[in-house]
Amino acid sequence: MKWIILVAAGVVPVLLTPGQLTVYVLLGLAAMAVVGLSLLMGYAGQVSLGQASFTAIGAYTAGLLAVHGIPPLLGLLAAPLGAALAAVVVGVPILRLRGHQLAFATLALQLILLSVLGGADWAGGAIGLQGLPYLSIFGFELNEDLEYAYLVLAGVVLTTLITALLVRSRVGRGLRALATAPVAAAASGVPVGAYRLLVFAVSAAFAGFAGGVYAFYVGYLAPGSFPVLLSIEYVVMAVVGGLGSISGALFGAALITLVVQLLTTLATRPGMPSYAPSVLSYAVYAVLLIVIVLFVPRGIVPTLRRRSP
Amino acid sequence: MTALLTVENVTRRFGGVHALRDVALDVCEGETHAVIGPNGAGKSTLFKLIGGQLAATAGTIGYDGARVDRLPPHQRARRGIAIAFQDAPVFRGMTVAENAMVGAHAVTRAGPLAAILRSPRHRREELEIRAAAAEALKRVGLAGWADRPAEDLPLGQQRALQLARALCGRPRLLLLDEPASGLRGPERSALAELIEDLRGSGLSILLVEHDVGFVARLADRVTVLDLGRVIAHGTFARIRVDPAVIAAYLGGAE
Repeated sequence: MKWIILVAAGVVPVLLTPGQLTVYVLLGLAAMAVVGLSLLMGYAGQVSLGQASFTAIGAYTAGLLAVHGIPPLLGLLAAPLGAALAAVVVGVPILRLRGHQLAFATLALQLILLSVLGGADWAGGAIGLQGLPYLSIFGFELNEDLEYAYLVLAGVVLTTLITALLVRSRVGRGLRALATAPVAAAASGVPVGAYRLLVFAVSAAFAGFAGGVYAFYVGYLAPGSFPVLLSIEYVVMAVVGGLGSISGALFGAALITLVVQLLTTLATRPGMPSYAPSVLSYAVYAVLLIVIVLFVPRGIVPTLRRRSP
Repeated sequence: MTALLTVENVTRRFGGVHALRDVALDVCEGETHAVIGPNGAGKSTLFKLIGGQLAATAGTIGYDGARVDRLPPHQRARRGIAIAFQDAPVFRGMTVAENAMVGAHAVTRAGPLAAILRSPRHRREELEIRAAAAEALKRVGLAGWADRPAEDLPLGQQRALQLARALCGRPRLLLLDEPASGLRGPERSALAELIEDLRGSGLSILLVEHDVGFVARLADRVTVLDLGRVIAHGTFARIRVDPAVIAAYLGGAE
């Protein structure tokens, strides 16, 4: 099954129109961030409403380095590192919090980040960074959507693989254990604090990598590219697909991206009011989240899997 | 015999209340030592101080020649102190075998990078962990449940799983928090046999227990707590005729 999906994901880009390719790339970027969020929420049991902060940090890391003449490839590699580093720095204090307190703290962090970026001259303020170069890998410039589509696909495969390998290991078992019974996990030798920080950093690195690719793909960055709504979108994707399931994260990212795209097309038709797209997407997140939590609380993929073993 | 665990002058206050006052006891290598006492005697507080779930207000806890009272729980586990909790939930969303495997954390080291790269160390340890879990599950009678979700186990078996998890860390000192409570006759004697078997293999055991019959059968020595103080210690035969112990039990909750 996973090979069929992988082959399909590899073949599809060549068949898409330019507009559809953009959706494909954005879907892949969301998928990376959501795989990270699903690792954090589903396996380690930590809720984050600020995952898009790390997308932003990755994007700005790559963007700022590029603006200062650092080769884009190095910037792309620095993106996940910058995001992970930021996660470690903020994680030390805030990971003492649990549940909804942690969720609000991550949300607050994103609001602070956006306001700092919006006011910082070195980051271009509210206008942001413009005219970022295309990514070039050993002299080969990626200047077409199709190339970014494959870069993103590689990123999704890589993050998925890392997550799968991590989850099915000693560390992964420790993470899952501390999510439901931290006291017993610690008594078994699991360094609970260090593992919480680790998974927060890994999850941030995935989002950061997505941000780095985004920076070179779109070519400009502004605080407005990473609204709180994006973090909420990631959470909805993870929950709808099914927490603690990698395929669920991928499925959730795909489903929500496509539904939102459909609605945007609908809402930008002539005659629709200008606020229609954002109102519709908020409404969709809300309705989907409520429906899933009420009727399919485990998420779509785990539920389907349990029904047809 | 040399002492593996030494608790000296340990005091724990909650606000103005002394849960434990100047408590001392030691557990020798290969010994099964029981702590008994009426409700509210401070047994579970003592248990948590040794495991590291609570910090002592004063006093020291030594283990294997070094102080451990400032160490976080996971480092105590690494040194060979394992705990089977009375009420701790199993790790939900994981199989019975995976639950036991978590216990091996104390004696394995492969980190995240080793896992992602599937390094030789990771592979070697995974095999060891799997074998240790299978062995521990067999020992506590859960071999047939290995691939079932842990939360599906009946309560008695969840208790056994706690024990299997603890054994997976190849401990030198095993802390058992009221292992017999809530168990019925046959389960109880199976557990007693298992504990005797563990002692036979050289494990030191500190047993906090309500069930006096259980203690009489298993404990080499007994420490009796009442209202946070040690009121007697010695062999079961000695403490059962100790006037202070009799008074505490007759005047207490029992």
